[in-house]
Order: sequence, then C-alpha cells, then structure tokens
Amino acid sequence: MRVVIGEDEALLRTGLTHVLQAAGFDVVAAVGDAHELVRTTGEHVPDLVVTDIRMPPDHQDAGLRAALEIRRAHPGVAVLVLSQHLQRAYAVELLGDRASGVGYLLKQRIADVDTFTDDLHRIAAGGTVLDPEVISLMVARARGQHDALDRLTPRQQQVLALMSEGRTNASIARTLSISERAVVQHTSHIYDQLDLALSDDDHRRVLAVIRYLSS
Amino acid sequence: MRSPLTLSLALIGTSGALVAGVELALFADQRAAPWWLLASFPAGGLVHLAAGLVAWRRRPGNRTGPIMVIGGLSWFAAALANTAAPVLVAVGVVLATTPLAVAVWLLHAFPSGRLRSRTSRLTVVGAFVVSLVLEAPRYLFDPGASPDGVLAVGQRADLLQAGTWLQRGAGMLVMLVTAGVLVDRLRTAEPGHRGVLLPLYGYGTLAVLATPLGPLLGPPAGLSVVQVVGVQIVLLAGVPVAFAAAMLRGGFARTSDVQELSAWLASSAATPALLADALGRTLGDASLQVVYASRDGRALLDGDGAAVDASALGEHRALVDIELGSRRIGAIVYDATVVDDAESVRRVGQVAALAIDHDRLTAELRASHADLQRSRARLVDAGDRARQRIAQDLHDGLQVELVLLALEAQQLARVEQAARLPEAATHLRLGIDGAARELRGIVHALMPAALVERGLTAAIEDLVDRMPLPTRLAVAEVDGRLPATVERTAYFVVAEALTNAVKHAAAETLTVTLEHVPRRLVIGVTDDGVGGATQQAGAGLHGLADRVDALGGRFSIHSPAGGGTQLRVELPCGS
Repeated sequence: MRVVIGEDEALLRTGLTHVLQAAGFDVVAAVGDAHELVRTTGEHVPDLVVTDIRMPPDHQDAGLRAALEIRRAHPGVAVLVLSQHLQRAYAVELLGDRASGVGYLLKQRIADVDTFTDDLHRIAAGGTVLDPEVISLMVARARGQHDALDRLTPRQQQVLALMSEGRTNASIARTLSISERAVVQHTSHIYDQLDLALSDDDHRRVLAVIRYLSS
Repeated sequence: MRSPLTLSLALIGTSGALVAGVELALFADQRAAPWWLLASFPAGGLVHLAAGLVAWRRRPGNRTGPIMVIGGLSWFAAALANTAAPVLVAVGVVLATTPLAVAVWLLHAFPSGRLRSRTSRLTVVGAFVVSLVLEAPRYLFDPGASPDGVLAVGQRADLLQAGTWLQRGAGMLVMLVTAGVLVDRLRTAEPGHRGVLLPLYGYGTLAVLATPLGPLLGPPAGLSVVQVVGVQIVLLAGVPVAFAAAMLRGGFARTSDVQELSAWLASSAATPALLADALGRTLGDASLQVVYASRDGRALLDGDGAAVDASALGEHRALVDIELGSRRIGAIVYDATVVDDAESVRRVGQVAALAIDHDRLTAELRASHADLQRSRARLVDAGDRARQRIAQDLHDGLQVELVLLALEAQQLARVEQAARLPEAATHLRLGIDGAARELRGIVHALMPAALVERGLTAAIEDLVDRMPLPTRLAVAEVDGRLPATVERTAYFVVAEALTNAVKHAAAETLTVTLEHVPRRLVIGVTDDGVGGATQQAGAGLHGLADRVDALGGRFSIHSPAGGGTQLRVELPCGS
C-alpha cells in the first residue's frame, strides 16, 4: 500500500515513516509543506495520505486544507489527518458529504502502533476513523441540544459513540464483548430514538450520526 | 498710547476744573459767608470728580466712577447758589441737596456700580425725590430763599414748616431703608470684603445723615451754623475719596484690562493655579474661581477634581459658562456683588478659554498617564502571574509525572518474565499518553490551536463546544482573520468570562455574542446567574480590562445582584 506523508517536524516525519514501513506500508514520499503535499500526491496518486494540520507555508491550517483539496481532487485517495488538538468543526469538514476513506486522529495515537496501523488499513479500505476524543466532545455537546440522547441507555450510548468513530458492527461487538446481533438491535433502537433513516451502509451511517451530533 | 477712554476722562476732568475755577472767581466778591466755606463746594465737587475719574479709568466696566462724576457735577450745581447771578442762584437753590441723593446712590451701588435690587432702586429714586421734589417748599414758600424771591409763589411759613418736616421724614425713611440694605449686604458679604465694607458704609451713612441732623444736633453741641456746614461738607466730600480708596484695596483691587490678561496668558508665567488669580484681577474679584467641565461636559469640577454644584454656589455667587466652539469647557464662579456685569465675565472667559482648555487637557492627560502607569504595572504583573502559574502547573504535574515515567521505563529492564514485557511497555506508553495530554492542555490554555489555525470564531466555537453548560453562540459579520492582538484579547476575554460564569455565577445558560461593526469588534458574554460580579473581584477580569484598555477598547460589566452578568467589550480593529 502506497503512502504519502505530510509532516513538518523532521523527527516525527522520520518516526512516522519508520512506523509505517515497519507495518508493511510503502512510503513513496514524506514532505514538510502543505503545497508540496498536494503536488506530490497529484504526482504519485497513492492509496493513502497521512498529514498534520498545522504546517508551512502559513503554519495555520494548511495541512487540513491540503487534505480537503486532495479528497476533492482524488476521490480514490484515502486521507488521515493528525493533530495535537481535535475540533468538531474539522471532523465535520473532513467528512463533508462523503465519509469514505477518511480519518481524523490525535497525533499521539501513533504510539499505539497496532491500533494505529489497523486504523490506517481501515481508512485505506474506504472506512471512516474518528478519534474517540472528538466523538466524546461531540456527544457531550449534543446532549445539551437533543433530549433524545439522554433517553439512550448507557450501552446504547457506547454503541452510538463507537458507530460515530466509524466502527463496523463486528468491531463494535468485539470491543463491547457482545454479539453482532445485539449490536444490530442497539443500532436500530438508536435510529428510532434519534429519528434517523436506517442505513446498512457504514459510511452513510457515520455521516448521519455525525450530522445529528453536530446539528 | 492713550486710550479714547483716558482722553474722554481727561476732558471731563479739565472741564470740571474749569467750572470749579469760574465758580471760585464768582465767589470772590461774596461777603455773605466766609470765602473758604463758599469755596468748599466747588472743592468738594473737584474731589468727587477726581475720585470718580480715577475709579472710572481703572475699572471701565464699573459704574461707581461715573456715579462719583455725577456727584461732582451735583456739587458744582449746588455751589451755584452762592454766586451773585440770580439765574445761577436759582439753579443752585433747586439742586441744593442733590449731592446727598448721589451719595445715597453711591452707597447702594457700591462696589459694582449697579443697583442690584428693587429695594435699592426704589430707595435711590426716593432719595432723588426727597432732594428735588420735597425740596421745593423751601423756595416756593420762602421768598428769602431765592434772589428777589423769583422761585417763591408766596410767603407761607406754615407750608414751609410742613414741607421741611415732610422732607426730613422722607429723608430719614430713605436713610433707614438704606441702612437696612447695607446691614443685609454686610451680613452676606464675603468675610474678606466685610472689613472694607463696614467702615465704608458706616462712614457714608454718617456723612449723609449729617446734613439733616446737623442743624438739629449742632447748636445744642455748641457749634455755629458755619461750623456745622463745614463739618457736613468735609464729611460728604470725603465719601468719594473713601469709596475710591476702597476700590484700590482688598477684594476691590485694581483691575487690569482684557488685553493685559491676554498678554499674561500668552506668557510662560501662566499656570493653572495662577489663572483664577489673573481672571480675578481682571474682573476685580479676588474670590473668583475657575471650574472645569468634566470630559462629557455635564459636570463641573474644581481644580482638585471635586464636583461643583452649580445650583448651590452660595448667596451672591454667580456662574458664567466658558465655551470653546460650542463646547462647555468650564465656568467662572464669581461674586455678583463685586462684578455685576455677566457679559464682562463672559468676555474674560472667552479670552481665557484656550488657557482653561489647555489646563483641562493637562489635567486629563496627567490622570490618564497615571492610569496608564498603573495599567502597565498590572499588565506586567498579570504576565508574571501567568508565568508563575504555568511554572507551577509544569512543576507539580508534568515534571513529577515524567520522573515517575522515567522510573517506570527503567523498571522495564528488570522485568523478569519476558511474557510480561509487552504489558509493562503498554503501561508505560499509557503513562506517557497521559503526560502528553496534560502538556497539550497547558499548551492549549496558553495559545489555543483553533485560534492559531482558524482565528477567533473557530476558537470560540471550539471553546463553546467544550463548555459544561448549554452555551449559545451568535456571530455576526466576523469573516476572515482580525488583527492577531484583537483575536487573542477577544478570545481570552470570552474564555475568562465563561470560566468565571461557570465557577461563580451558578448560571444555567450562557450566551456569547461576537459582532463586527465598522472599525470595532463587539463582544458580549451573558449569563443568567446570581450576578454581583465586579471588575475588581476577579484578578482575571481586571487583567483583561487592562488588555482591552491597552488596545484602546472599552470594557463594561453589568452585574446586578440576582440579575445575571453582562460583560461587554469593544475592541477597535481597523476595518
């Protein structure tokens, strides 16, 4: 699997390259500038782009804007955005109206190498991965806006959070040590409570839930 | 160069001296009375004239001088009675007691030269009626009073007697009322003026009373008629001298003219403390005060910054606004008994307006400079305290945690069962994750990522997202980035206000508003809590007020007890 890395911190760029190579990824380019990242991606058209948000040239959100541009220009390229600080707005922007092949994680998640490479594979395979921290932020905020969330059982709230992170039913079942059938029951109850249209498509499911939480 | 006034006055003086000379010449062949007694009338007139001209020249706006000059003319007129020409004698007889009426006028009009009360005006009119109308029986019913009885209509001793008593009675009434007015004036006079006014009024009253009382009290006291008349004349002639002298000392000091004031104001000697003195000298009122308008022009403040109540200045104190353009910049408070002419006060105020405005600006500048110094000190202090807090946070938390993590890492070397190594390593990683999270929190508090990456609106949205209470955010017209200092200050104002609301206000909901109006960013943070918050209460808010002030913004907090708290901050921001 071919990867392009965008990270302006040289040490971290090298570390990330090593981690990915060790996990069997083919790092075709590692750059330290957002414009460079867009250009290199256009050149290599990799399977996956991993990028930081705050990057040259402006040291503001150039990395995020590069990620959005890549997602627009190359729908086939999966994108993972890493950051020191997570924001609801960024998650919503990144997803846009197409939740496939996209991820938004705290930078420190790299350290848990197994989970991290797992997430990379899921994203590259067209999945969605949102950091639990940004999801809990969104859920906490949404509880002040929607009474329906308080009517969910603690278990259903766990399922909702995992769904929002982009997990599949199987993954949720594994994490909560329950059957996939139980997960399906929970999700349909959640759909009823939140008045969401039922969807088997994982991407649509994430989009619907995130939009609900963010509204 | 001599002013037109000086020339006119010189002309009056010269004419008066000529009249006196002619009269003296006419008395030369009179044998009816001692020559010196006859001469004392024109002499008294000259004294009046001289005193009046001096007063007139030194204080052109004051009518005391002109009154004295009129007094001088009345003496010349009265003196005509002693000439040999029948027509002149007749005029002299008719006007014989007018000097007394003028003396009463002078008593009432001093020191401003104007009759300020209705009582004074009526009394002076009464004095003239007594001296002109009630004098008539003396010559109408006594053929001996005028040469060949030209003025007489008959010899009626009874009517003459009645007329004389009527005149004396009316004259006494005029003098009683005058005494009452003068006593009242003494009672309400400035303490500094009282010492001058008391002997002056006393002497004036005595001099006037000497005329009707002299013939009654003189002979029993063993004085001849000639001696009585001599005493009367000397006393009356001394009146203008005494009044003119009073004008030259104490509160009625010599006045300088407006041109002189302008020259003084332009000189380097002009200092705020001396300004009131200079204006007082120009207007002849040592009690004059200059007060300054507050910045909004509504209140008046004295030199020490204490408020002056324009409606409670005290009796006889008057106030004239000083305006520059159409703006009130201050006022002159003066003694209306000394300076009767508000127009001259206004004129002097106009000349002094620039100097007064300069004083006011200087005072404001000093005050704002002192504020600035204090605010800068607080900013430095706030910076130090923030630094200390960060150091403390790092020292108590992260530093300790890193030492423990280092120990834990060292423990990995001692893990005896290889199978337990991955577990220990994961534990270590989680510990490092925790330390990293803490560090991110500190970094975020110092400079939020969203503020750096996206600007104010995004940063406040992120802040609101993380609020533990329902928080409404309304943003209007804030597009694109604002100047960095404005964004940061606005962000920290909102962050501090929200933190305070959560900690102290016991609020249920919070509202944050951001509005970009032309050249200003208006920030509002409102809660529905217990209220009672003050800028002084929290060092945090005070520090922020200084920050806002440093950017030239405005900071206001409205927090009635039980009525929630509304914080409003305006920051200038270029466009």
